[in-house]
Amino acid sequence: MKRYLLLILLLTSMFILSGCWDNKDINHRVMPVVLGVTQQDENYEVYLQIPQPAGGQIESIVVSGTGKTVNEIIDHISANMERSVDLLHVKVIVVDRELAEKGVKDLISGFIRSRDISSKALFAVIDQDLSTFFGAMSSEPKAEGTILLDFFEKSAGWDPQIALTRIWEVYRSIYSYTNDVAVPLMKLGKTTLVEHTGSAVIKNGVMMGDISANKTLLYNAFNGESTLGKIEVLDDASVMILGEKMKFKSKLEEDIPVFSLFLKLKVTILETINDPSENEIKKELEKLLTERYQSLFEQMKESESDILGIGQYFRREIPRDQLKEWRSVYFPELKVDFNIEIDIQNTGNLKIRKG
Amino acid sequence: MDKSWQIVVMYILTHLGLLFFLYPANIIESSSEAQWIPIVIGVILHFVIVLIYLKGLSYFKNKNIIDIYSSFGKLWTILLLIPTGLYLLMINIIMVRAYSEIINIIFLTKTPLWAVMLLILSISCYLSMQELSAIFKTGFLLSFLFLPLVLFVIAISFQNVDWRYVIPIWSSDFSFIKKQSYLNSYFAIGGGFLFLGFIQPVLSFRNTRILIGLAAIVPAYLLSVYVPVLTFGQATAETFIFPYVAAVDGINISWLMFDRITMFFLLCLITFIMLFIALVLWKTVRITKYYIPILSEKWAAIGLAFFIYCICLRIPNWSDAERLFQINTPLRFYVILFVPLSIFGLGLWKKRKEGVNG
Repeated sequence: MKRYLLLILLLTSMFILSGCWDNKDINHRVMPVVLGVTQQDENYEVYLQIPQPAGGQIESIVVSGTGKTVNEIIDHISANMERSVDLLHVKVIVVDRELAEKGVKDLISGFIRSRDISSKALFAVIDQDLSTFFGAMSSEPKAEGTILLDFFEKSAGWDPQIALTRIWEVYRSIYSYTNDVAVPLMKLGKTTLVEHTGSAVIKNGVMMGDISANKTLLYNAFNGESTLGKIEVLDDASVMILGEKMKFKSKLEEDIPVFSLFLKLKVTILETINDPSENEIKKELEKLLTERYQSLFEQMKESESDILGIGQYFRREIPRDQLKEWRSVYFPELKVDFNIEIDIQNTGNLKIRKG
Repeated sequence: MDKSWQIVVMYILTHLGLLFFLYPANIIESSSEAQWIPIVIGVILHFVIVLIYLKGLSYFKNKNIIDIYSSFGKLWTILLLIPTGLYLLMINIIMVRAYSEIINIIFLTKTPLWAVMLLILSISCYLSMQELSAIFKTGFLLSFLFLPLVLFVIAISFQNVDWRYVIPIWSSDFSFIKKQSYLNSYFAIGGGFLFLGFIQPVLSFRNTRILIGLAAIVPAYLLSVYVPVLTFGQATAETFIFPYVAAVDGINISWLMFDRITMFFLLCLITFIMLFIALVLWKTVRITKYYIPILSEKWAAIGLAFFIYCICLRIPNWSDAERLFQINTPLRFYVILFVPLSIFGLGLWKKRKEGVNG
C-alpha cells in the first residue's frame, strides 16, 4: 500500500518537476538587442531592433509603438506580434537628444526597478530623429541586428574615444553627489552606418551638453579605460599611444579645491611632417593634451557637471553633508594643475632627429 | 559524536543566506556614512552572545536547552521556552513570506506567490521531518555544490567598486542605534545561532571550532554592505531594496558563458535559506513536541508547515511583510539576549550547587 502511494506521489511530482510555469519557448520569444526611446509630448515612442535569422543570415527588423510608459508599449508590441517580446537581452539603449535634455530619470529608474533589462546594458544618445535613425538601420542590408552592439564591443568596433557607460552608471549619476557620466553621442554616418560625434554629458539624469570625441578619450583615460592604440595627430607628426599612467593629488586650500594630475604617456611615432625633432614632438603633444584637458575642465565647470568624478578625490577633505554641494559650490572654484610627461618609446622603423 | 565541522558549515551557510538580501539595505538605511560602525557593533554583540551561550551550554554536558529549562522547573520553560518557540515560529513565517516575495521581485515576476511559498515550505518541511543529522549532511552537500560559486560571485562583485567611497571612515553620529531599520538588521544576527542549543546530544561540538565558523562569517557582514556602497555610493545605494543584488547585477564578465550571474548567486543563497527554514522548523517541532508529547514529530512538522503556509497566505504585500520584521523586534531581542544569558546563569548556579554538594 505504502509503495503504491509513493509511486503515485512520484508520478504526480513529474508535473511540477519540469520547473515550467507559464514558460515560453525560445522560438516563441523575440529578443530585441537595441531599444530606442523618444518622447513626443507626454508619450514615449519605443523602437525595438530585433535580429532575425533568415536564410542562413541574420537580418534585423525594427518595430515601434507609442504609449504612456515603456512597459505599456512593450506590452502592446508583444500583443501585436505573434511571439512575446523579451527584453532580457537588450544590450544597447538609445534615446534621442531631446529626451536626454529633458531628463531620463524616470526611464532609467524604471529599467532598474523592473529588472527586465540588464543593468549592464549600454546607454547612448542619438543626435538625430530616432525614426530616421532606426529607418536607416532596418533598410541597411548589412545591418545585422548586432551592429550597434558591435560598435561598443571591446573585441569588435570599440575605440578608446568612445565612452562606455552602462545603465547602472547613469542611474548612479541621478543620485550621486560627485559622479556624472558621459555617454556616447551618435548619428547616422555619411559613409559608415553610424558616426560617433563625441559624448553627451549627463548630470542627475539630464543631458547638460556635449564634449568632443577627443575629450572623451581624456575621460576614458581618466577612468582607467585603456587608451591603447589611439592615434593623436599633431602639426608635425602623428603618434600612437602605447601606454599611460595617471596619478592624482587633491587638497583643499581655504575651501578651494586644488587638484593635480600627473599623466605619463608612452607613444610611438607613425608619421612626421617636415622632419621635426624628438623634443619638438614631445612638447607639442604635451601642449595639445594640456590644452585639451584644460578646455574639458572649463566645459565641465561651466555646466557644473563632474563627469570625471573629481569630487570623489575630496571625500577626505569635505564632509559628506557639504559634499552634497560639491557640484555647485566647490567644483566651479576648482584649480587644476596638469603635469603631462611624454615618453617616446620608439620612433618606428626610421631614426628621428635628436635635440 | 564530534560533528563540529558540519555545524560550522551549517552556521556559515545559514548566515550567508541571511546576510545578502535584507541586511545591506537595513544597514545602509540606518546610517549614511561609516557603515562599518553599526556592522561591527552588531558583530561584537553577536560574538558576545554566542560566547555566553556556548559557555552556558558547556556547563550542561550533552543536554539541549529544552532539557535544561525543564530540569529547572515550569517557570523557566514558560519564561523562555515559549517565547523562543513563538519567535522561531515567527522567523519561519517571515522567512517564507519574505523570501518568496524576494524570489518574486528578483526573478519569477509572473509566478504566483502561493506556488513559490509551497515549494519553499514543502522542501523545508520534508527536510525537517528527517533526522537532525540528515539536515546537517544536506548542508554539507550544499556547501560542496554551491559554496564555491557563491565565493566566486562575492570575489568578482568587486569589479565596479570605487574605493574612495570608503571615506569618510569615521562618523560620530550614533543615531542609528534607535532606528527601526538597524534593529531589523538584527534579524540576520540573531536567530541563526540558537540551533547550537538544540542539537545536543545528537550532534556534539567543540567550542573552539564553532568560533572559527563565527570568525569566518565576519567578512560577509562587511562585504554585503560595502560592495554596494563602494559601487554606487551611499546616495544611490539607499534607493535599492536589495543593494547587494543590484551590485552583482552590474558585473560584466565577457569570458563567462552566463550573462546574468545574479541568478546563480541568488538560487544558491535560496537553497541555503531553505536549509535554514528546515532547521528552524525542526527546532519549533522540538518545542511543540515538548508541550504536546503525544504528537508524532512528522505530523507536528506537517501541521506547523501548514499553519505557516496559511499565515503566509494571509500576508498580502511586501510592506506588511516588512511590518512583521518590526513587530518581531521586541521578541527578537528578548530571545537573543535572555536565552544565552539564562543558560549561562543556570549553568553557573548548577556548578555552584554541585560544588557545595560535592
